[in-house]
Amino acid sequence: MKALAGRYVDLAIWLGLATLPYWIGAAGGYTSLGTRVVVMALAATALNFLLGFTGVLSFGHAAYFGLGAYGAGMTIKYLVPSTGLGILVGVAAGTAAAAIVGALIARLRGVYFAMVTIAFGQVFYFIAFRWNAVTGGDDGLSGWRRLPIDLGFGSIDILGNDQAFYYLTLAGFAVAVAVMAALLRSPFGRSLLAIRENERRARFLGIPVEQHIWLSFVVSCFFVSLAGALYALLNNFADPHDLRWDQSGDFVIMAVLGGMRTFWGPLVGAAIFVVLQDYLSTLTDNWMSLIGVFFILVVMFFPRGVLGMLRRRKATS
Amino acid sequence: MDEHTESPGRRRMLKAAAAAGILQATGPFIISARGEQPIKIGLNDPLTGTYAELGKNEQIGCEYAIEQINAKGGILGRQVQLLVEDSTSADTGAAVQKARKLIDRDKVDFLLGNVNSAMAVALGQVSNERRIYHVVTGGHTDAVTGSDCHWNVFRVCNTTRMETNSVSKTLFSKYGKKWYFITPDYAFGHTLQEGFEAALKQYGGTEVGADLVPLGATDFSSYLIKAQAAKPDVIIFLQAGQDMINALKQAVQFGLDKRFHIAGAQQELEVLDGLSPNARIGTWVFEWYWNQPNVPHVAEFVAGIRKRNNGKVPTARHWFGYVAAWTCALVANQAKTLDAVKLAKATENFKLPPEVALMPGETFYRAGDHQLMPTLYVGHAQEKGSAPEDLFHVDELVKGVDAALPVSETGCHMKWS
Repeated sequence: MKALAGRYVDLAIWLGLATLPYWIGAAGGYTSLGTRVVVMALAATALNFLLGFTGVLSFGHAAYFGLGAYGAGMTIKYLVPSTGLGILVGVAAGTAAAAIVGALIARLRGVYFAMVTIAFGQVFYFIAFRWNAVTGGDDGLSGWRRLPIDLGFGSIDILGNDQAFYYLTLAGFAVAVAVMAALLRSPFGRSLLAIRENERRARFLGIPVEQHIWLSFVVSCFFVSLAGALYALLNNFADPHDLRWDQSGDFVIMAVLGGMRTFWGPLVGAAIFVVLQDYLSTLTDNWMSLIGVFFILVVMFFPRGVLGMLRRRKATS
Repeated sequence: MDEHTESPGRRRMLKAAAAAGILQATGPFIISARGEQPIKIGLNDPLTGTYAELGKNEQIGCEYAIEQINAKGGILGRQVQLLVEDSTSADTGAAVQKARKLIDRDKVDFLLGNVNSAMAVALGQVSNERRIYHVVTGGHTDAVTGSDCHWNVFRVCNTTRMETNSVSKTLFSKYGKKWYFITPDYAFGHTLQEGFEAALKQYGGTEVGADLVPLGATDFSSYLIKAQAAKPDVIIFLQAGQDMINALKQAVQFGLDKRFHIAGAQQELEVLDGLSPNARIGTWVFEWYWNQPNVPHVAEFVAGIRKRNNGKVPTARHWFGYVAAWTCALVANQAKTLDAVKLAKATENFKLPPEVALMPGETFYRAGDHQLMPTLYVGHAQEKGSAPEDLFHVDELVKGVDAALPVSETGCHMKWS
């Protein structure tokens, strides 16, 4: 029965996402808000692969998000005007950087890991911020835009058609989420859970802990850079802020807000965060305080996040 | 247990579906009333973070303009409504999102903003994609009316190059040809320095040194000591906001103002207001100044803004917002249309009337790059003026056309579509 209920939840979520452009207008939103929710959800879910399922807190994921963004933007601007290739290069750049950085930090634990990820994140931020000639510096990388995707037999206009771009993003999200779910169900994923629960015991069982954490970090960053590439295409712009530590903080907030021990938690967290920000900031200049208060309340009273709370209520009723 | 917990979810889903259906059915009735709806102008500006004060000042300018526009009959006989969205000060993604919200959801007819240069460029791209008439209020980077120019985008504030060009000649002829730069290390500072270097080359001066200072620095002492040792004629400060306040305070503490001439490009009333009187030094450029006794309508504008600005005089930011909003109304009423392409064509070489321009000389939007050609106010900061808020003394008026690069050198290739 429980598995069945879970399947209903999955179905409802996918149905909601698949029909989103048709109801979001009536709900007071707009299509690109939905796209932003999906992109942020992808980033937060990817971060949660590491945070919620491996038990390692990274505060520097924005660096790989930003590398994805700049990789996509710079490919389209300087190299080849192709959206698909832009995404590929962005993801490759983010993943390659993560593979190198990950190898250097996989031995660190807890707050030291978090601090070093911030430090490496800021390195990439300052490169983007200061290398004016190539990245546009503080002014951002502009003068390019996403281009229709050529499929050979026809092309999809993702620039003029917001809906088409939403579905491209959703497709990316679906594939990413499916791969992460499959990985978590595999022996590799189970080993990650074991590391999260008790690292010493996992080590005694013969699990190569450092390699597993490294691989989990790389997988997580792979999908974060995909989110970054899609984000740059959404804005037709890459911005050094995408790489900054406070953007990393936003991802962590989304994951914690939704519930980091649940698979769909980051999606819920990202939706709440993005929609709340969009809605509140129109009403008042003090919207940041309100989001902050909301976050504090969630952490104090529902430390398992919104989804964790719902699940607990279900279990006790 | 699970059966029980499932059913409310399903019922709730059904309710939600029904509600969505009802909303969709009511949609068309609202749309049919569009004819009587007000004209919407969307302002996308930072209301939180570093640039909050500047953004809010632009907002006050817009609101004042819209009150006047409505009193004079609105746009094409319809009342005008201002929608304001917080773009944040640093997150360009949020700014782009808010622009889409204004355009896609709120269906604004005109878009205004932004203070932040990166956001101004990014918003130009969005408005161009959506074919919405867009006036950039206060983002100074050259790209907005240069390499990233668009047929639908116009700009009120000056380019960085106009600011450096307007003051260079005075500095060179009056204060000497050896210059030292103290530049904030980001795109804005770099382009200002490049502008001054181009002028130095043209006049045959020398750059005796330059320091790149990280953004948000509080301690300038090491740079000031180096500058002093290089024995320049002029020390040029290119900081903005709080950085400029810190730099000038420390320059005065070091006594540099007694031995060298202090100067720079863009200076704002907000900064001079934040300095102690003895640190109000140096030669600068103002983009608009409130104390212009001989220019008609300025006194009236100052009085009007004072009422909404806690009794304070307007700054250049108020003027940017005011001019941007009025530009939309004036052009639409003259061209008798809301069609973005026709509006954009009508704005080329459009001259602002004196009650909106509020400056001496001709003020118009240049056809090739859509840059406003205003008057620039070159002068010096002063400890005490005729009024408590008179912190700047205008020495020279420079015409925008003389300060701006010719269109062919801006890098703008206007594509109409």
